[in-house]
Amino acid sequence: MTFFDAFFSVVARELRRMRSNPVYLTASVGVMLFCFIFFVSIFEDGQPQDMPIAVVDQDQSALSRQFLRNLDAGPLAEIAFRPSDYSEARALMQQGKVYAFVVVQPNFSSDVLANRRPEITFYVNDAYLVAGSLLLKEITYMVELTGGAIKQNVLMAKGMESHRTMGLIQPIQVDMHLIGNPWAHYGVYLLNLLLPGVLQLSILLLTVYALGIELKEKTAPDWLRLSPNSFLTALIGKLFPYTILFTCLSVLTSFVLYRYQQFPLQVSFGWMLLTGFLYVLAYQAVGVLIFGITPVLRDSVTLSALYGLLGFTFAGFTFPIEQLPYPARVFSLFFPIRHYFNLYVPFALNGLSVPHITASFVSLFAFLLLPMVVYARLKKAATQLNFPIK
Amino acid sequence: MFTNEIKELVKNRGVVVLLILAPIVYPMLYCGLYWNETLLDVPIAVVDPSNTSLSRQFIRHMDASPDVAVHCRCASLEEARQQFASGAVHGVLSIPADFSALLQRGEQAHVSVYSDMSSFLYYRSMVLASNYVALEMGQNIQVQRLSQQGIVGAQSDMLARPLPYEGVVLYNSDMGFASFLMPAILILILHQTLFFGIGMAAGADREDKRRLSWNTLFTRSSLYVLLYALLTLYVVGFVPKFFHLPHLGNPLTLLAFAIPFLLATVFFALSCSVFNPNRETQLVLFLFFSLILLFLSGISWPESNLPAFWRIFAQLFPATFGIRAYIKINSMGAGIAQIQTELAGLWIQTAVYFITALLTHRWALQRQTRNCPN
Repeated sequence: MTFFDAFFSVVARELRRMRSNPVYLTASVGVMLFCFIFFVSIFEDGQPQDMPIAVVDQDQSALSRQFLRNLDAGPLAEIAFRPSDYSEARALMQQGKVYAFVVVQPNFSSDVLANRRPEITFYVNDAYLVAGSLLLKEITYMVELTGGAIKQNVLMAKGMESHRTMGLIQPIQVDMHLIGNPWAHYGVYLLNLLLPGVLQLSILLLTVYALGIELKEKTAPDWLRLSPNSFLTALIGKLFPYTILFTCLSVLTSFVLYRYQQFPLQVSFGWMLLTGFLYVLAYQAVGVLIFGITPVLRDSVTLSALYGLLGFTFAGFTFPIEQLPYPARVFSLFFPIRHYFNLYVPFALNGLSVPHITASFVSLFAFLLLPMVVYARLKKAATQLNFPIK
Repeated sequence: MFTNEIKELVKNRGVVVLLILAPIVYPMLYCGLYWNETLLDVPIAVVDPSNTSLSRQFIRHMDASPDVAVHCRCASLEEARQQFASGAVHGVLSIPADFSALLQRGEQAHVSVYSDMSSFLYYRSMVLASNYVALEMGQNIQVQRLSQQGIVGAQSDMLARPLPYEGVVLYNSDMGFASFLMPAILILILHQTLFFGIGMAAGADREDKRRLSWNTLFTRSSLYVLLYALLTLYVVGFVPKFFHLPHLGNPLTLLAFAIPFLLATVFFALSCSVFNPNRETQLVLFLFFSLILLFLSGISWPESNLPAFWRIFAQLFPATFGIRAYIKINSMGAGIAQIQTELAGLWIQTAVYFITALLTHRWALQRQTRNCPN
């Protein structure tokens, strides 16, 4: 029996198994499709538009109304409530109905005219960090803008030409350049790692499940009979259909992100596909390792679940990796998603050519060696079924 | 009867890991990881061809801000780019050669700030530091210029800063990452470990063909509630205080939230659990949903901006109301009056899922009798 005979008969058997039990396709294709629809529909606007805020306008003058109209017209905030005092506004915030509120003091307008510099106070809720931070920036900007307009009026009334006033209104202007994500699109920031993150959960769980169910249901002899001479061929043949399946899902992810959503991509599409393919292989290898460590299905499923969820933290995209304690930074190297981040950010997002590309690729390759650590144990477990099956 | 069920539970290793170990270890693990929750002194590179006292002043003020720190000075933007590419810095401040000349001529000068967008926290640090310094220095320059125009005193102050403002950051004044995310994670851990733990226990019964009766079901459900009453006390009462997370919550308000949250979650998990053919399938199929629940809660992307369909969909899960209520009580000091929507939601879920748990279990008991009549 040649390698190919054995290999293809194992592959054919695995395909039959995948067809007969809906778990396989639901936990891979179903999960990814759900996440595509869910996340793409959530982050459609890029930044949360028209977040509800409250204003307490105790002045009700033309000037205060002008300021509030500007605020309302801005992209991020929308005035949803006009409570009469501070405590009412604060209650709205505690109820989660608004993410910020602005208090305009009585005599606001007359104080401006009398050079008394009335203070505008606003409150943002940073228990919701995204909404709070964005509204802090937005309201600050709108107050500055309104102040600038007041300045310009006064200076022009003094007879200054309008082009000369800019140096007086705002002597130093900051031009922000957001590298790789010029509009601070929240989806660009999150989805480029969230979706591969969901994919790794699916790869880990299904790799472990496909292997473990053979031992648990004592079908391993049927499987190994198809490749009597080589356990390695049996193992590769078993994993191969999933390599194809998950590579397709990885391609689909890239397609959704860079073709359908048109997220910025500084490298070729093929480059992302290659990285995605390596990523799939690395996680399959980790799956085999986990199952080799504990060849009892329920334990290895639980272990992959706990490990897989940590991947979202150790990728380092929501919270920068250098903020983690030192042991955790070292530990993060044992997560392929960390290396994926290291490849994606500088090349695909920032379009830079950097020296450590080789290190990241080599690291992803290194994961492929991990199954060797447990190969003997796995082979023994599969052939002798000497582990508790529950 | 009760001790019997405890023995059964402890025998089931997977269930012990999910129902006892995970809710004890995970909160500590995450709190440890996010311990340095506030980004301070994010390293930046500076390119300053102008090299004048004004540009140096700008750089000094940036360095002095808590958000960023000058890591290196580069001769050119290309050199700064290399620093950025190597990961040594997460932002670049570039001051053009004509910076001081423009300022001295009374015109507007520009500075460029380049920000790493791989994490939004870098971006926020860059924006905060550079805007603050530009405004602060700008005001001094304005006062000088106005006095050159013969405008001094109150009117000069007024023109330099006509609308002073104060932005007050409430409920997470350090803008810490853990203070923002951990409260949601804690509730999610309780919800998900209960869901998967109860599911795995039910799957184990079916796999092992253990005969169930209303009696065992009732005993076991009480056991879950009691166990999680203790774990909730630990997760909600001990962890936030020990790890310096927000803990403004009034204990009685927390109790008023915890009771319906636990009941709703247990009944929800019980209702779903009868469909598990074995121990593992539920975890394989639904693990990813933990992430979905986090986003449905509105802690990250605001609830007001979720598409209407997902807002309604979110109401199916106790985690949604649980996370929202807990953050309001514990991070924002809300009382019963401010969380009525969430409490109503949780009690309705408790009632509905109690009925569905009864119905699905009646069906499961019938299935059991049908499959093995003895």
